[in-house]
Amino acid sequence: MLRNDAKYAKKFQKTALEPYLLLLPVLVSMLFMFGYPLINSFLLSFTHYRLIEPNNIYFNGMENFVNLFQKDEYLGLVAMNSLKWVLGCVSVQFFLGLVLALALKKPFKGRGVYQSIIFVPWAFSSFAVGLMFRWSFNGEYGVINDLLMRSSLITEKISWLGSSKLSLLTVIIAMVWIGVPFFGIMLLAALQSIPSEIYEAAVLDGCGAIRKFFSVTLAYIKPTIIVTILLRTIWVFNAVEMIMVVTEGGPTYSSETLASYIYSRAFSTYDFGLAAALGTVFMVGLSAYALVFLRVTKFEEAGDF
Amino acid sequence: MISSMRRYLSPHMVKQGALNFCRFLLLGVYLFFVLAPVYWMVITAFKTDTEIVNVNNITYFPQHFTLDNFISLFSQLKFGGFLKNSIILSTGTAIVVLIYAILGGYALARYKFRGKSTIILFFLISQMIPGILVIIPLYLIFAKLHLINTLFVLLIIYIMGNTPFCVITMRSFFERIPVSLEEAARVDGCSRMEALVRVIIPVLFPGIVAVFIFAFTGAWNDLLAGVIFTSSQAKWTVPVGMKSLIGKYNVRWGELMAGGTLALLPTVIMFAFVQRYVVDGLTAGSVKG
Repeated sequence: MLRNDAKYAKKFQKTALEPYLLLLPVLVSMLFMFGYPLINSFLLSFTHYRLIEPNNIYFNGMENFVNLFQKDEYLGLVAMNSLKWVLGCVSVQFFLGLVLALALKKPFKGRGVYQSIIFVPWAFSSFAVGLMFRWSFNGEYGVINDLLMRSSLITEKISWLGSSKLSLLTVIIAMVWIGVPFFGIMLLAALQSIPSEIYEAAVLDGCGAIRKFFSVTLAYIKPTIIVTILLRTIWVFNAVEMIMVVTEGGPTYSSETLASYIYSRAFSTYDFGLAAALGTVFMVGLSAYALVFLRVTKFEEAGDF
Repeated sequence: MISSMRRYLSPHMVKQGALNFCRFLLLGVYLFFVLAPVYWMVITAFKTDTEIVNVNNITYFPQHFTLDNFISLFSQLKFGGFLKNSIILSTGTAIVVLIYAILGGYALARYKFRGKSTIILFFLISQMIPGILVIIPLYLIFAKLHLINTLFVLLIIYIMGNTPFCVITMRSFFERIPVSLEEAARVDGCSRMEALVRVIIPVLFPGIVAVFIFAFTGAWNDLLAGVIFTSSQAKWTVPVGMKSLIGKYNVRWGELMAGGTLALLPTVIMFAFVQRYVVDGLTAGSVKG
């Protein structure tokens, strides 16, 4: 009896600890990679911390934030750019991804091959895609200008990357190109999971094609739409590499977003305190967005994910 | 002829035909949109320098095929070294992440324990935290440890950065394997180890491949951490090395396009072989629906 109890206790303890042990490397990774840095970054935002003054580090209250909001003449422009960047990228990516998924829903000969070609950009790096687009949109030797000239749409070459009006648009086009496959893959998978009985029932109920699309198709894949848009918005908002490669934020911050601005503030001026303050503002905005988005779309009612 | 055919076409068929025409037109246009930039990059890589910068005659196919760009990439620009660093880091990352993901994914799929849903929630949240934000504090830690400008630092960052998503993905692959399969193998006389090797691993194979590729690609494609944590050319990865070629007043487009083409090759090959698994993993890993 006693031995049985001891054995039971031992067994119980083993199963209780095992999952934590198995997860240990992952938990340590997350604490080190995300937990600590986030807290540290938050604290840094209230600190005078310049990498070039290692002996002059002190708590400076709200000074970084005051500097940011009152003295930083580019913050407004950069925030506006971020908004255009996110809205432009995500809406076009989503639209193209949905159209693509709808066009691919019905099987046709060669669909598998077609799909594997157009989904490949998902595996591409921002840096290589950035290079491609930087080269294609090159003002002098670029293929885009050449095509536009040949088709007589323009008479003079456009300086896409050198113009403060067009540089952001150019990066958005590159970002759309790389981001459509994600939406395409996700939405196609969701579309294919719609049971055909629902359509049959809708037809019996006298639904027209448009009604069917909105009340059945879109309604059924709504949870996927919400999650993919949420994720993509956050990823696009966070993305810096494409901007680093295509325009480097220029000319004069015209294609700089909040995320890339943190990078350039941190590693050009080495004012880590200010960069961290920018990061804190960034995180507050991001969290607010996620909460509002989930509330507005009534995600809890839309289904589990 | 046409009018006689038309008699057999019902309005419904005509509508279907028109719809199909639009559908394939659209798919064709999109295919062009996807292929054009890649084509432009690849053919530029095979052009001579004089052809690339000839403003008056921009060519859509190389007049003189040349491998010069690839050759000078390796002989002058130390591309071989970048490639070596990238391969070491990506392979190392993929192996370690795979082990972490199998352990963690198994725990999340097969055990009930306190804090499980919180852990999963944190995994998902960690996917939304901007890299640029965490990289500043990490830079300070690694600077204190005198680890800046080492491959080791990048390896740690790539492993830790890619683990959460891969664990979540692996978990869903484990969840698809019915527990009864494991039990049946045990009843048939397999030991626990045998059951794992002979029954679970083969079924899990798609997950293993998907996770390996996710982690490999994650490390292979990184530019940001590489730019921040390495400063000497000997430590540069392919993206960082290529980045150093732009921004100078005289951009060497031929070599850049050659380097970009080579950088894309491994990911394209991997994707082509295992696309089905990757698609499975992607849809299972980030959205369960």
